[in-house]
Amino acid sequence: MDFLNNNLLTVLIVLPLVAAVVTLVYHAAAKNENDLKWVTLGFTLLNFLVSLALFSKTAVAGASGFFFEQNVTWIRSINTNYHVGVDGLSFWLVILTTFIMPIAVLSTWHAVEKRSAAFYIFLLLLESAMIGVFVSLDLLVFYLFFEASLVPMFFLIGIWGGANRIYAAVKFFIFTAFGSLLMLVAIIALYYAYANIPGGTAAGTFDFVVILNALKMGTLTFAPQTGMLLFAAFAIAFAIKVPLFPFHTWLPDAHTEAPTAGSVILAAVLLKMGTYGLMRFNFALFPDQARETAWLFITLAIIGIIYGALVAMVQPDVKRLVAYSSVAHMGFVVLGMFSFTEMGMQGAVYQMLNHGVSTGALFLLVGFIYERRHTRDITEFGGLANVMPVYSTIFVFTVLSSVGLPFLNGFVGEFLIMIGMFQSHVLGITASVNWNYIAAMLAGTGVIFAAVYLLWMVQRVFFGKVTNDKNRTLSDLSWREIGLMVPLLVLMVYMGVYPKPFLSRTTEAVKALQERVMHQAGGTIERTGLTDPLNK
Amino acid sequence: MVENNLLSIIIFAPLAGAVINWLIGGRLKNELFSGVVACGTILISTVVAFYIAFGAGGGALFIDKPVLDQLWTWIQVGGFRADFGLGMDHLSGIYACFITFVGLLIHIFATGYMKGDPGFYRFFAYLNLFMFSMLTLVLADNFLLMFVGWEGVGLCSYLLIGYYIKRDEARKAAKKAFVMNRIGDWGVLIGVFLVFTLTGSISFYDKSIDGTQVHSALSAFAQMAQEPFAWKAIFAGGITSAAVLLFIGATGKSAQIPLFTWLPDAMAGPTPVSALIHAATMVTAGVYMVVRCNAIYQNAPTAMFIVAIIGCATAIFAATIGLAQNDIKKVLAYSTVSQLGYMFLACGVGAFIAAIFHVMTHAFFKALLFLGSGSVIHGMHHEQDMRKMGNLRKYMPITFVTMGMGWLAICGIPIWAGFFSKDEILYRTFAASGLPPNWNYILWIVGLLTAVLTACYMTRLMVMTFLGSERFHETVPETAHAHDPAHAEENAFATGDAHDDESHSAHYAAHPVHDDDDQDDEHHELPADFRPHESPWVMTLPLVVLAILSTVGGLVGIPYALSSMFGAGDLNVFERVLEPVIMHRGAAHEPTKAENGEAAKSAERAETAVSPKAAEHEPAAVHDPEEISTERKLAGLSVVLAIAGIAIGFSLFNSNPLRRLPKILVDKWRIDELYNGYIVDPITNLSREGLWKGFDVGFIDGIVNGIGHFVMELGNAVRSLQVGYVRSYAALILLGALAVLGYFIYYGWRLVS
Repeated sequence: MDFLNNNLLTVLIVLPLVAAVVTLVYHAAAKNENDLKWVTLGFTLLNFLVSLALFSKTAVAGASGFFFEQNVTWIRSINTNYHVGVDGLSFWLVILTTFIMPIAVLSTWHAVEKRSAAFYIFLLLLESAMIGVFVSLDLLVFYLFFEASLVPMFFLIGIWGGANRIYAAVKFFIFTAFGSLLMLVAIIALYYAYANIPGGTAAGTFDFVVILNALKMGTLTFAPQTGMLLFAAFAIAFAIKVPLFPFHTWLPDAHTEAPTAGSVILAAVLLKMGTYGLMRFNFALFPDQARETAWLFITLAIIGIIYGALVAMVQPDVKRLVAYSSVAHMGFVVLGMFSFTEMGMQGAVYQMLNHGVSTGALFLLVGFIYERRHTRDITEFGGLANVMPVYSTIFVFTVLSSVGLPFLNGFVGEFLIMIGMFQSHVLGITASVNWNYIAAMLAGTGVIFAAVYLLWMVQRVFFGKVTNDKNRTLSDLSWREIGLMVPLLVLMVYMGVYPKPFLSRTTEAVKALQERVMHQAGGTIERTGLTDPLNK
Repeated sequence: MVENNLLSIIIFAPLAGAVINWLIGGRLKNELFSGVVACGTILISTVVAFYIAFGAGGGALFIDKPVLDQLWTWIQVGGFRADFGLGMDHLSGIYACFITFVGLLIHIFATGYMKGDPGFYRFFAYLNLFMFSMLTLVLADNFLLMFVGWEGVGLCSYLLIGYYIKRDEARKAAKKAFVMNRIGDWGVLIGVFLVFTLTGSISFYDKSIDGTQVHSALSAFAQMAQEPFAWKAIFAGGITSAAVLLFIGATGKSAQIPLFTWLPDAMAGPTPVSALIHAATMVTAGVYMVVRCNAIYQNAPTAMFIVAIIGCATAIFAATIGLAQNDIKKVLAYSTVSQLGYMFLACGVGAFIAAIFHVMTHAFFKALLFLGSGSVIHGMHHEQDMRKMGNLRKYMPITFVTMGMGWLAICGIPIWAGFFSKDEILYRTFAASGLPPNWNYILWIVGLLTAVLTACYMTRLMVMTFLGSERFHETVPETAHAHDPAHAEENAFATGDAHDDESHSAHYAAHPVHDDDDQDDEHHELPADFRPHESPWVMTLPLVVLAILSTVGGLVGIPYALSSMFGAGDLNVFERVLEPVIMHRGAAHEPTKAENGEAAKSAERAETAVSPKAAEHEPAAVHDPEEISTERKLAGLSVVLAIAGIAIGFSLFNSNPLRRLPKILVDKWRIDELYNGYIVDPITNLSREGLWKGFDVGFIDGIVNGIGHFVMELGNAVRSLQVGYVRSYAALILLGALAVLGYFIYYGWRLVS
């Protein structure tokens, strides 16, 4: 038990790698593709169970505020450490990752028609990389995991995707790789900036906690222009990942072409890397810049909310519709973060989880019907409620959660984000107009549009008479399909009715971050009088 | 603080009923089981509601403090707190009682009406779920939980309007209702933000939970100074803004201009649904909210004026449309919109109690009229077109007599319930003082005209349905109509309303044979030997009970001016019960007191608004003899006008029930076409052609792909590589990234050196 407690995060990262090796060996030895899914399912379930140890009440935070911290020297010459830890910000995202993986695996039961060994190995590698992203506290290690998550997804789309998969995979890769290269440059710049602190040890570091402390103490400072450039490099990388308007066009293609499991993981976890990164790195390292550019991010987020909804409304393909709805939902998350109020930021963190659950569920549901009909064209359907009552009920329920109906999960997040924005002071307040109000009111229209595009789709797909003869013989959901939906449905209700256990875990980390952005930076900390390395 | 944990039974009994019917009823498919579960759970709610309102600890309607029941803290972040807590004060007590009681009657009626329907259990599961939401709405002890109920009733309304899922009109109407309500919900949500920003609380009551004091947002508003009358106050982010935002929500839920067009379409749902949700309960939620927030509205005279104007305009506008409709349910739907307008008019002129009084009497007589129409439709084998009815009193005597009571009530004939409530509203409009000069007279005259129209179209309904000759087999003259169903399907909001009475008849002209596949298709030719029949007792019993209530239910609120005519004292129990809920500015009766002791007075105001206790200390309302005489004269006038309206109705339609009416009225002033043409279609086209195909695919991807192509051409030109798409992308990223990387490395270099 001690071993687990001391190495919990490492176990979570390594276990999927072990599973991948086991899969590979088993495949080579037994040549039985059919058992591979059981192996993968077993390991992902095991990883989920292990991740539940994060709830341990005996865990104590280290000096830096992180739980289950581990710090081991990795490459001494460049002073980079394998430094991992989890706090309120990453806690639920790790759980979300381990939780969604078995569900994603279950969804592929009959869907993988070729090279299933490779498919499951990529899924497992992806899990490892995603967990790594959320727990890394060393910038270089974070970067490596961030890039590593790209590769399996690239192949998942490119090999097992739909008709236009090559285009989608390349587009996905180029957009995100472009962003992360920028981030790499910024990380290296930070390394040298730290090395150049006058009176310091002259050794650079990639350690996030060390750099953060130096910034907090005021020993490390940036000239305005340098700070803004570094901020921008991180921000662009994450904005593409979110994706924030206008960097979003890779998302609909990637989602539409990806296999169901890929779409689910992409929506539930991969997009969260962007919003997580913005909060973890941009806010903590560059609070002044974050505050100064908040107007830009809020504007882009609102455009994303309305734009995503309007474009979703006119999509002929169900999956593409859900993909565009992701753009709108992630816009809400960004909006809440940049309100810099406790409510808004808590709401943003909560909405990341909600989006993972609800949109993940929607992609699963779209996958079910695609397996049956091999089309997702809305006009091909109609009256499905008559043929597949269970499927229709679950679908409508999930849609309601996505629409933000009170007592389902989406509402709590959206409400907190909007009221946080409404109460914010980050935008200008003049005698005649309070722009924070305007922002919240505009974001609120997204809630109306969400009802329009989702219910219109529901109306056309499920209600009315069965117009297409091909739909008359469709079979309703199997027990496997119902079984993998049930945990998600339960979560939708639970998170909507009793959000307290979720919110209370994130409170401290969010509060600290909010205080850093709004109070500490830009004045209250006494400057040490050190000159900026650039201007000396 | 009075606590009573029984309060949660009122809301959770129907929820339990819904769950049982959904899970077990769906397997059993036994109508008796489903019916008993549904009605039984509502019966439990009714008994508990009446017990708490009248019995327990002196009765919530009569004691000073609200009865509270705190369940759990729902959302608590930073300074924001929303509880799952219930509260019954005088206002929510009255609401809870009539909702449960009328709801119970309608549930019983529905067991007869829905007999033989394959989705029987589903119907009652939804109906119970609706009761849960509606009761949550009125019993919530804070704005956010009220909003839960608010959205919940919207959802149930969506599910029940779309109950006949195979029918195109039903699914379109369902989505239209939900979307229009959502537009209103936006207002409520932003309004709640503003309430919280202004007061730091969203609670309705002062209470303490586990030692934490929660103060009431409403009493905080009561202590604020009144915002002077000014249009720009709407956008100032103050009390007026909050009031207007909340009212936007009310226009959605209560079908007022401009968001009213969903309600007539909502008649595509089963008739008991129309009676329960779209007449008696849900649509009055807007009135409930405005009265609940009267402390906000009274401090925002601009918003009050807007409420009065919108209410009054809706009242007469809907009445004109109601005059020309041929579908019996459509007439009643527009009538409901019109009556809701009256209620908002009352709120706007400060007669909050009269508004609630009208809500209650309207619940009785409109539920009665809808159930009566349901009985007619049932007896006529699902024929809704009044042009194919006539002389039904011969076949359906009980329905005829009971509906007659409802007719007298809505027309405003004395002693019937509608008379007292409507007359009170008209008198208070006439005597209103908070409006810009002379507006009280304008509103009053429009209100009177509406009363005449109401009497007229209701008489038309009665004449066409129950009197005259039998027209069961006559073909209805077709009128050309310009609706294009394909077009309606095109647009995302589906305000396209391609299912008015003309298209009904067109529908079964085209499909004379019953479509076996569609068991829910209700339109078919009546057989030659068709005879309408009276409905079974489960349907007529609720009619009789509601008829009695429509007749005598108004007697709880007889104004002093009328009761004193017969030597009786002040019999207005209703007003006395609700008085403490209303914040007292004292402006109307004692205008001189305004100057001195403002601080003391605001404190007193606050107390009256919060705790009903203060009401006891106040002397009974002073009855000014002059006011009394005015009120009596006006009452006389409205009786005369009501009778005149009935007379006009008879003279116009008795001899010629199929009289042609102005086309613009038949076409409902073409509002749906207006919304589609100028709002819905442009947005849809912009999204499709402009944003998606233009910006997303054309512009952004165009740039990305364009650079890709450019690089490919470049590669072709130098022929150094075998270039494909993928490689061109790789080249692109290399190029772009190198440029940006170079910039950053340059800076990095400067950092180092």
